[in-house]
Amino acid sequence: MTPRDPRLPSASGLLVVGKDVPRTDAVPKVTGAAQYVADLHFPGMLHAAVLRSPHPHARIVSIDTSAAATMPGVKAVATGGDTAKRKWGAFRPDLYPLAIDKVRYVGDEVAAVAAVDAETARAAVDKIQVRYEVLPAVLSLDQALAPGAALVHDDAPGNVAHQFGFERGDVSAGFKASDVVVEGTWESVRQWHTALETIGCVAKWDSGRVTMWCNTQTPFLARGRYATALGAPESQVRVIQTEVGGGFGGKSGDDNASVVCALLARLAGRPVKLIHTREEEFLASHPRMPMRYWVRLGFRKDGRVMAKEIKIWADNGAYTGKSQAILGAASVRHDALYKYPAVRGHSMLVYTNLVPTGAFRGFGNPSADWAVEQAWDLAAEKLGIDVVELLRMNAVEPGDVSPHNHKITSCELKQCIDKAAHLIGWKVKHRQKQPHREGKEPAREGKGKEPAREGKEPARGLGMGCSVHVNGRRSFGDWDGSSAIVRVNEDGRATIITGEGEIGQGNLTVLRQIAAEELGLPYEHVDITRPDTDVQPHSLGALASRLTYVAGNAVKNAATAAARQLLEAAAEQFQRPVEELTILNGEIGPRNGSETEFRPVGAVVRANIYRRGGQPIVGVGTFDNPSEFPDHNRYGNESGAYNFAAQAAEVEVDRATGEVKLLEVAAVVDCGTVINPATAEGQVQGAVTQGIGLAMIEYFDWWNGQPTDPQLKDYPLPGAATMPKLHVAFADSYEPSGPFGAKGLGEIGLDAVPAAIANAVADACRVRIHELPITAEKIHRALHPEIYANENVPPPAAPKGGMWTRLSAGRPSGARPLNPQFVWAASVEEAVRLLAAGDAALVAGGMSHALRRERTGFPQAKRLVSIMRIPELSEFSIDARGVLRAGAAVRQQAFSEEARVRTHWPAIEDAMESVGHIRIRRMLTVGGSVGPLIGGFDLPLALLVLGARVTVAGPTGRRTLKLEEAFQKRFAKDEMVVSIEVDPPPARSASSFIKYMARGVLEIPTVNTAAAITLKADGTCSHARAAIGAVSWKPIVLDLTTLAGQRLNEDVLRAAVQGVRAAAEPVSDVRGSATYKREMAVEFAYRALANAWKRARHAIA
Amino acid sequence: MLVKFRVNGDPVEVNLKSGDRLLVDVLREDLQLTGTKHGCGIGACGTCTVMVDGYPIASCLQLAAMCDGAEVRTVEGLAGASTLHPVQQAFVNRSALQCGICIPGHVMAACALLEKNPDPTEEQIRASVDSVYCRCTGYVRIAEAYREAIALAKTRKT
Repeated sequence: MTPRDPRLPSASGLLVVGKDVPRTDAVPKVTGAAQYVADLHFPGMLHAAVLRSPHPHARIVSIDTSAAATMPGVKAVATGGDTAKRKWGAFRPDLYPLAIDKVRYVGDEVAAVAAVDAETARAAVDKIQVRYEVLPAVLSLDQALAPGAALVHDDAPGNVAHQFGFERGDVSAGFKASDVVVEGTWESVRQWHTALETIGCVAKWDSGRVTMWCNTQTPFLARGRYATALGAPESQVRVIQTEVGGGFGGKSGDDNASVVCALLARLAGRPVKLIHTREEEFLASHPRMPMRYWVRLGFRKDGRVMAKEIKIWADNGAYTGKSQAILGAASVRHDALYKYPAVRGHSMLVYTNLVPTGAFRGFGNPSADWAVEQAWDLAAEKLGIDVVELLRMNAVEPGDVSPHNHKITSCELKQCIDKAAHLIGWKVKHRQKQPHREGKEPAREGKGKEPAREGKEPARGLGMGCSVHVNGRRSFGDWDGSSAIVRVNEDGRATIITGEGEIGQGNLTVLRQIAAEELGLPYEHVDITRPDTDVQPHSLGALASRLTYVAGNAVKNAATAAARQLLEAAAEQFQRPVEELTILNGEIGPRNGSETEFRPVGAVVRANIYRRGGQPIVGVGTFDNPSEFPDHNRYGNESGAYNFAAQAAEVEVDRATGEVKLLEVAAVVDCGTVINPATAEGQVQGAVTQGIGLAMIEYFDWWNGQPTDPQLKDYPLPGAATMPKLHVAFADSYEPSGPFGAKGLGEIGLDAVPAAIANAVADACRVRIHELPITAEKIHRALHPEIYANENVPPPAAPKGGMWTRLSAGRPSGARPLNPQFVWAASVEEAVRLLAAGDAALVAGGMSHALRRERTGFPQAKRLVSIMRIPELSEFSIDARGVLRAGAAVRQQAFSEEARVRTHWPAIEDAMESVGHIRIRRMLTVGGSVGPLIGGFDLPLALLVLGARVTVAGPTGRRTLKLEEAFQKRFAKDEMVVSIEVDPPPARSASSFIKYMARGVLEIPTVNTAAAITLKADGTCSHARAAIGAVSWKPIVLDLTTLAGQRLNEDVLRAAVQGVRAAAEPVSDVRGSATYKREMAVEFAYRALANAWKRARHAIA
Repeated sequence: MLVKFRVNGDPVEVNLKSGDRLLVDVLREDLQLTGTKHGCGIGACGTCTVMVDGYPIASCLQLAAMCDGAEVRTVEGLAGASTLHPVQQAFVNRSALQCGICIPGHVMAACALLEKNPDPTEEQIRASVDSVYCRCTGYVRIAEAYREAIALAKTRKT
């Protein structure tokens, strides 16, 4: 630390570092002014669309692009033949920009079109004819490793892309000396970055040079790889980083999008924009690499770890990208976390015909921690030592050296463990749990026990996991450095010139703080450039949590150099020795001098330039991570410093459904000095959230090597409502080699979160999850094996639906132009007449049409007839008799805003709540949700149990029928919903609706149930109804006539819903297996009835 | 088809080449209001949230033709020449953003809530924050920004 001026409040006080200064990018981002790549527009700019492989593995027999090329508006069509036919990739070049001869996964780029608008480009892609010879595909690790398996790449025998092994220390002796040995295999899963901005590029050629505006997180590395793929020298490719709408590793330049964009721009001679659709992002960006991770640990009975052995098989997907480095991290990084005396490992990277994998926040560590941190938890149980104590006892300390030569400098892992345990209330909560744990519960509930009984009390549990991460890593050659220029301008403000960039993590702000602190300028007086590879010094960009530490040191060094030049200039001007001068808050003057002796920095700079032989103040700084380039078998000190974290989780498990409620998470990170508390906290909060997503929420259903519905519908993200109470704290720590003692922290917050949650689940209900994600169904299966004992699993069948048809036909590029005419109908009769013509579709809110357009991309109708201006359809009233009437055009939000809905028809209120957000309720209409008669929809099921009537109009007039009857008989094709009516509830009655989704927001739930109960004055049942949706083609309406006259209790209600099990005909899908759904249908039918009954009793009281 | 509506108070006329064009595309492409982002196309993520007649809606599912006569508000319409809207100021003050791509959606959702209900409960705040995905922040600071915006709006009024 530079010595400080005595005028400061404390001699070691920092003025800018450690403060919550305003973020550099905040104002443009809140006003919408920030320019992301999709926001760019150039004169003459074309739009691209990509044709992708619909097969996981096929030979390309022929490609005919003539029909596409001759379409009006199409300016360029590219295939592999138009490329340099050069393979590219970070470590193992195996990817062509556009396929040559073969496609290797569903989503592989085959051809691309640039046209005057995106619709034309997409339509042209549809006209490209490709003949494929479908080849046998390897769609899992087991298939890929089977003897005689089809080869993904001919030059990778056995589909092995990369492998290595190591033994460091005497592992056999370690296990021999162990009193307790634990082992197990854990599997992780593909997780997509799902940045809310997809990958994109705008490319423009000029005199043989290409400028690429990219949302890449690594502009210089991207430039190098794109130059290879394009067959151009690096300096002829200029990459400009736009605002990046989320990276997390997914925008580190391993995908083909930017290369294809540049190819098209060259062919067309015009600027081209290529933006991934959300589907393309799921099909062809490079998600987290799943691993099968076997680990064995040996311990002395006092808890000391003696030996560790691992074997990893990693599913690379079809191309390698950064995966071999990811596998390296997963193999050795964890050994810098605990004091392992001996470790042995073998790791294999395996090609499959699945979407290629790549860098994702954590970079292999989450898969390692998922396995090893659970193994430690198992060991603690076997040893009879509290896991917090066990981890603490073995935690690495400053001065330790791992078996792979990781040199531990600053390390406050023990502090992290202690703080995390404290924040989650570990000791107190564990003590409270102890009475229940005496006598040790069996691993699973005995068969004799009635599962229903177990559902009564949710089980709570605590879990912990730790992690270690690098601060930069030597990966791309023997350099992990950064260079920066700090220029002090003649107005006294400084400009940092660095190509490291910003992807939302706050790096620009942190680097400005470091430079301001070092220069003695106010934070506001330091500006920073955005990456442009024509301008800044070579840099590696945002990866490996390196920016604060590596780029921060480079910027600090550049600022030191600039400050020295400033002081030297001032020394000449002040006629005093340099050592007597100081820069403080934008002014230069003598140490201990009075304020009048200080001059503005700008004046000193100006005087230094405008004189004979004058020169500007330009400081250059460089920093190379004091680390080693690991050898093939991963020996070498990867990073000059390591950051550490401990995460604790508390969960509550619903034994009847398997649902895990995440109550609290505490994450404590050792990142050295915290440069910007708000940003640091935000990094950890966000990382934990992604860890929760990885653990419990984010997964797809797969078929033939691709997700069956690659959209945010089947792949929800953690939303605010799913978030636990989150505690984030930092260890008191200082890294001597870091800028002002700082280390990185971008990734560490994620790594151990899934393991901590799994450990908490195991603590809660004795169920150990070995395969990500942790789903309610997996826990339910483990808790209730008897239910699944005779499960009849039908052979998997191809998914159905327009979306699937489009994708399997190789048309994964979103909406096609339909150009329908839009008409406002003035009356119901006019709408019916227009509908009868056969070429029209009704739109109410318009959502279903927009969704169909986006998802299936196929034309539905030539005319869209809107019913929203028909006055009678907007009627929403409750008449004197208490009858609720709502026209087809009424927005569902109207129910939420009518107080009497809550009191009279609570099932409707429940349904509105489960629709989710006002944004959707405001768009959904009564007609839109009732018209299709889908039992999985919320409002119609609630209306059904309330005995609602529906009025429909058709060519022969209107008719009114019970909604229940409508569900049985359907509406005629030429009929439209006019309105619904619900009678006032009888006295002493209540209703309820429950939507069970198991995770996140999906259009159709696992099951939804509604119930209504009317009691007699004596409290016995007068009348009860229940309906169950989403588990059969039509809603199941239970016959509950036997309940009439009975005195209700839980057992009576449970008995009454057992018929659901036989009536349900669920289909296995991403929401759950058929068996699980059937059980949940029974459970939630009971819960809806019980809730209605409770409300009815309340009404009596 | 000619559609007339108001965007951020200004009258606009858009000639729709197709009856099913979406509001998000018309805003971004025809009106160059690129502050509204396209995130998922299926109403799931909320980054495209704008206000139509005082309510938040998903502009990726909103047929532009149906906005005829409507009052549309986007993130570009909130700030004055030199002052941010209290909601925007609160997001800045709380560092309630990272990559920023979802922020226009969050800001619009917050404005929609606070204009209808200047004193929402914690539950209402949570529901509103939950209506828009954020892949970066974990929502903690966004919820804090809501609370700060409520306080800021009160001080500005007095």
